[in-house]
Amino acid sequence: MLGDEVEFTDDERDVDPDYLDFALNEWDTYATEEALRLVEAAGSGEVVVVSVGDEDAEDAMRRCLAMGADRGIRVEAEGRLDPIQVARALAEVVQSESADLVFAGVQSSDSVQAATGGALAGLLDMPSVAVVTKIELGDGKATVNRELEGGLVDVVEVDTPAVLTIQTGINEPRYATLRAIKQAEEKEIEVRPVGDLDEPASRVRKMFVPPKGEGAEMLNGGAAEVAQRIQEIVQEKLA
Amino acid sequence: MARDPKHDILFEPIDIGPKTMKNRFYQIPHCNGFGSEKPLNQAHFRAMKAEGGYAAVCTEYCSIHPESDDTHRVSARLWDDDDIKNLGLMCDMLHEHGALAAAELWYGGPHAPCMETRCVPRAPSQIPSDFEHLTYPKEMDKDDIREVQGFYVEAAKRAREAGFDIVYVYGSHSYLPQQFLTPYYNRRKDEYGGSFENRARFWRETIEQVREAVGDDCAIAVRMSTDMFMGEAGTQLERDCLPFVELVDEIVDVWDINVSGISEWGEDATPSRFYESGRMLPWQKAVKGVSKKPVLGVGRFTSPDLMVEAINDGALDIIATCRPSISDPFLPKKIDEGRLDDIRECIGCNICISRWEIGGPPVICTQNATAGEEYRRGWHPEKFEKASNADNDVLVVGAGPAGMECARVLGERGMRRVHLVEGQDDMGGIMRWIPQFPGLGEWGRVVNYRKIQIDKLKNVEFIPNTRLDAEGVKNYGAEIVIVATGGYWATDGLNGCTHDTIPGADASQAWCATPEQIMVEGKAVGDKVLIVDNDGYFTGVSVAEKLAEEGKQVTLMTHLGHIAPYMHFTLEAPNMHRKLHKLKVEIVTYQIPTEMTEGKVTSAHVYDEEHLTEWGVDSVVLVTQRRSNEALYRELKDSVGIDALESEGITGFYRIGDCVAPRLVADCIFDGHRLAREIDSENPDVPLPFKRERHVIEREAVLA
Repeated sequence: MLGDEVEFTDDERDVDPDYLDFALNEWDTYATEEALRLVEAAGSGEVVVVSVGDEDAEDAMRRCLAMGADRGIRVEAEGRLDPIQVARALAEVVQSESADLVFAGVQSSDSVQAATGGALAGLLDMPSVAVVTKIELGDGKATVNRELEGGLVDVVEVDTPAVLTIQTGINEPRYATLRAIKQAEEKEIEVRPVGDLDEPASRVRKMFVPPKGEGAEMLNGGAAEVAQRIQEIVQEKLA
Repeated sequence: MARDPKHDILFEPIDIGPKTMKNRFYQIPHCNGFGSEKPLNQAHFRAMKAEGGYAAVCTEYCSIHPESDDTHRVSARLWDDDDIKNLGLMCDMLHEHGALAAAELWYGGPHAPCMETRCVPRAPSQIPSDFEHLTYPKEMDKDDIREVQGFYVEAAKRAREAGFDIVYVYGSHSYLPQQFLTPYYNRRKDEYGGSFENRARFWRETIEQVREAVGDDCAIAVRMSTDMFMGEAGTQLERDCLPFVELVDEIVDVWDINVSGISEWGEDATPSRFYESGRMLPWQKAVKGVSKKPVLGVGRFTSPDLMVEAINDGALDIIATCRPSISDPFLPKKIDEGRLDDIRECIGCNICISRWEIGGPPVICTQNATAGEEYRRGWHPEKFEKASNADNDVLVVGAGPAGMECARVLGERGMRRVHLVEGQDDMGGIMRWIPQFPGLGEWGRVVNYRKIQIDKLKNVEFIPNTRLDAEGVKNYGAEIVIVATGGYWATDGLNGCTHDTIPGADASQAWCATPEQIMVEGKAVGDKVLIVDNDGYFTGVSVAEKLAEEGKQVTLMTHLGHIAPYMHFTLEAPNMHRKLHKLKVEIVTYQIPTEMTEGKVTSAHVYDEEHLTEWGVDSVVLVTQRRSNEALYRELKDSVGIDALESEGITGFYRIGDCVAPRLVADCIFDGHRLAREIDSENPDVPLPFKRERHVIEREAVLA
């Protein structure tokens, strides 16, 4: 999460981590909840949380563990990775765990690239469905709703194992009690070394705060005055 | 963070006579219950505002002589050398922060009942006060006039000696100089009455004499009401005030401009229920149009944009604040640092003023629980000590005013984790629906401020939509549990008049409702509604206003002699009466229902119980009394038991706010704040003693 002020690293390619607070990404919260619900409904199974990053990533992982995930695996990696590199790191773990279902968030709330889940499916040669808003688990397959533009929903059947990227609103995530948070501190997070991540498929050339544009009109005055001015502007634009 | 350059003008210095204010923020004279006789409380209270960036800070009204004794209300006093010592401390502490100190020299005339001094106040004419019932003044002859002017001069010299930089010759709120100016008070036939020149004579001469006495050392301020809203009889802007400004502008260093008289001074200290910020700008601008001197004035300004606009628009040079400075003494600093979302905005409830009107008790503030506690409890509004038990996790159950404030302050005190758990989908408790009453929208700032602050605190987590039962609390995993589950309106007519329920009253019936059933659940009421109000503050009248505005035929019944008597203290009463009258709400006083059933209510006169009246109604609204919602607390304490809680690791178990006893929102917030400030004391349930300013005798020395 970014505060009101921000500075960039010396190479101008990333936000200076001093200006960041780390929190569990909203989409991952829903994905965790969905995984927990499926396992609870099945009556057996295990939810494993996987992340790629340095030790700072563990706070977010522990939030998932506090919600009820069973264990965590962190692939030790530092610095900025692009979604393909993250997917490569994750793919090794997914293969070793022989997961029945793989969930990713639709996108991260910091980079907002929405590419990791799809890349992971490609690397694993698994079917994948993006922007999932409902899952019904069958035998060796799942019926899932995927969100389309304009409020449309596409219902698809997909063979499992599959990679599903989970949309917010698919469920109502539970909150962790203080006891669960404390217990999560004791849960295992296995740290694995990173393999060959190869070259990134994309590069950040520069990060900067966009310059303030011209032409913004500040509307001052009372509510009625402002409302009237807005009405005038809208009418001008429509004319 | 840095100040927004558009607010720069607020931080430009300005000269007032021989003195310079470092910026444009001025704390207008206002009462706090401390006067000259609680000097440590007084000095620390005022100094907090100087620390918060105010460039000048004033006393409350400061009596110049025992003839101007407002007891039961508390004023400052500059009667003798000991008062100089006591108020001098305030000056010193303000100066340490680079702020100017101002004294509002005050002679009340007939409005000062002199209940302690037993003096007789003097006035232009012998007419009893319109504000302080049964107080008659002595009509002044010319010797009296000279003598009272002498009181001003002597008090001004004492103010200078105490260290004050600015001395007022205060007229607003219908005090003596303005009484002379105003036909309503001045019916004299001599050269001090009649024509404008004559009515202005006393004030002009007094300003001249005070200026002569201290004018090289102190700036001279004049506070004038520019409209009393009483037609020909009252002071009028064009006829009296603008000519007066022109008459004495040369010898005045700064004008402090407002409106109203004393008996309806809610037109000046405007409740948010009736007026928005900046209500007096037209009058202030009119004075600025004719004066060459700086003009300052209040307007319950909390928005820096509005402050800048007031200056750029040529209405004010200096932004004076009273209530916003109580609500947030650090208002200037927060604007300077660009921390606008940290401003604790005044909600205009006037609970601060109510304490002065009641007479005696120290100032309180709904938004700022530390107001008035700077010295006696050592509380700083912006500084929090890390709790010695900060390694504990805390569960606060209920995110109403008390719970939110408690969680916020516990977060500031560095508790490891604070979970604020709420059954509803958002914070606020009763303050989610109270601001939906007509005119009370600004009260929602209570919730907004705390939501923003809680969001910023990394160790505080808000958990909505989660209604914990006793088992859930027990197993939650907190070391400290605080129950803040609020209260509810009685559904059976239980009330403080009969100390009993009302036979037949039952809000589970369709024809009978409580305020929260109407506001939260949207329970429908019929066309003809009887509201039973035994509470006496804002709820009954607000329900009446809301339903009348919706077109219902409303009768408001109370066992008291007035509806909403507490609103007299908050200055809301006059306009509330006007509004309900206009809405044709029938007011019934001294009546208490003895029985009710669908379609019919029977009531008795409280002083003639045999005299019964029947009322045909479609619906009844019960605003009889509130009850604590203590089910969860009782279950935890009585059924689960303290031992079982302890065995789960819960070492602290408390409750706060309406859940203990229903009360003012200000008191609920105080309660939550107090517990959090003292969460690491030996027994946090019991407030630590506060420092009492009192005269302590040496028995032996007295007896010897």
